[in-house]
Amino acid sequence: MLVQFYNVSKIYPKGKALDDISLKIDRGEFVFLMGPSGAGKSTIIKMMFREEEPTRGQIFIADRSLVRMKRNDVPKVRRNMGIVFQDFKLLERKTVYENVAFAMEVVGASQRNIKARVPEVLSMVGLRGKDNSFPGELSGGEQQRVGIARALANQPLLLIADEPTGNLDIDNSMEILNLLIDINRKGTTIIMATHDRELVKAAQKRVVLLEKGKVAADYAPGEYVI
Amino acid sequence: MMKNLVYFFREALKSMARNHLLSFATISTVAICILILGMAILATLNASHLITRLESDLEIMSYLHKDLSPAQTVKVEQELKAIAGVDSVRFVSRDEALRYLQESYGEDRYDLEKTLGNNPLPDAYEIKAVDPHEVPLIAQQIEQIVGVERVSYGKELVNNLFLATKWVRVLSLIFIVLLSLGAIFLIATTIRLAIFSRRKEVYLMKLIGSTDWFVRWPFFIEGILLGTAGALIAILLLAVGYDTLIGSIQSVPFMPVVSNRTMLLEVYSGLVLIGATLGVLGTYISLNRFLDI
Ligand SMILES: Nc1ncnc2c1ncn2[C@@H]1O[C@H](COP(=O)(O)OP(=O)(O)OP(=O)(O)O)[C@@H](O)[C@H]1O
Ligand SMILES: [Mg+2]
Repeated sequence: MLVQFYNVSKIYPKGKALDDISLKIDRGEFVFLMGPSGAGKSTIIKMMFREEEPTRGQIFIADRSLVRMKRNDVPKVRRNMGIVFQDFKLLERKTVYENVAFAMEVVGASQRNIKARVPEVLSMVGLRGKDNSFPGELSGGEQQRVGIARALANQPLLLIADEPTGNLDIDNSMEILNLLIDINRKGTTIIMATHDRELVKAAQKRVVLLEKGKVAADYAPGEYVI
Repeated sequence: MMKNLVYFFREALKSMARNHLLSFATISTVAICILILGMAILATLNASHLITRLESDLEIMSYLHKDLSPAQTVKVEQELKAIAGVDSVRFVSRDEALRYLQESYGEDRYDLEKTLGNNPLPDAYEIKAVDPHEVPLIAQQIEQIVGVERVSYGKELVNNLFLATKWVRVLSLIFIVLLSLGAIFLIATTIRLAIFSRRKEVYLMKLIGSTDWFVRWPFFIEGILLGTAGALIAILLLAVGYDTLIGSIQSVPFMPVVSNRTMLLEVYSGLVLIGATLGVLGTYISLNRFLDI
């Protein structure tokens, strides 16, 4: 199992965000986190890369407990994950190439590896030839492709995306979804939070439905038809 | 590690270029601080050098026993003149000595003679040596003469110099403390701004899996660069100024200056270290308060 949540609760001073969540995700899966606003999708995602810690319960990533983990070991776990954001979080002053290279630089990759890997991921997301463009010169869909390329740069086991299509129109959203499905087919596990029913229906993947901080339903691939 | 170092320096330099006005102000403040510190250190070094030289350069006062007869006094004078290396011997009567003392107190304020009742001062001989370096040796021989109560040389001037250097030290210490605080504060502000303008990068770095130190290093290097740059500018000014000073003073005979190369080099490298330390301190303050990792 790649991701395991055991009876995880998250209580903020204002109230419960997650209430006794248990969840397992295997290597190679593609899982949608669905649910209305405030259901707890982002909270789950933040816990996976340990931006937040649970109030109660246990979380394991690749059989390592995030709860008992020492501070020094957190970067090691994060290096196995790629994160994609709704608002892309690209660095405006860096080119497309530099934005992707940045992810490798900051984990200490050699310049030689960077030079080999960046063009590889850029063509994987269909952005060959845009190396020297700045994010401001790209469409939203293209910007998110840069975001995905950056998340893939360090060859993560797990790609986590919190509403990656939230800022995109339906055509661009479909393209991003197909890109993610493609990446998943090559072996990367993907967890994606979204509101978009059309997208989820089209993908025919596992869907975890959250409501008020609880798992309301867990649909196997193809089961989610509503 | 090499490739990381390149990355850290590049990031630090980019950040300095981005906030170049503040960086400039910070470097200038550090430079002024180090410059004053350097001047104070050089002044103190020279003063203590001067003091050791003066102690042997000055005339010797030999005070006589109060109840010496005129004949005995003359005999002392003869013995003084007989000492090898003595250039001149001058008699200073107790009345003359009191007059000097009266003058140094200001004539109107006190009438010393009235205040004291009678003149407490002894007669004395003022001796000059042919070679100033032999003063301590001659003084030793004078002490052996029967009828001489006490020998002193150059004490007063030396004491004044001590006092002066003490004041130089105290004043420059106050300046240095204030300016160091200012420099640390400015470095902290610059680093705070650097953290602020890089907060998105820092957030991404954390999530991508940078270690804490990987995130911190560029800021520390920026702080160290600011401190060191300021120190280097100060040292350049100091070295040029001091060299010119030495050049113009060394043509004046008997004016002792510290021109020992290795000693100056030690002072200068110490100052660089202090500049770098200011940088580390300023960075540390801001990282603790504003870098959330
Ligand atoms: N930092 C926080 N402090 C306090 N409460 C929080 C915090 N983050 C989230 N919450 C609360 O936790 C609950 C779950 O929030 P979460 O962001 O996980 O929802 P979500 O499912 O991602 O919603 P959306 O679809 O709008 O993104 C909400 O009620 C929210 O107000
Ligand atoms: Mg959310």
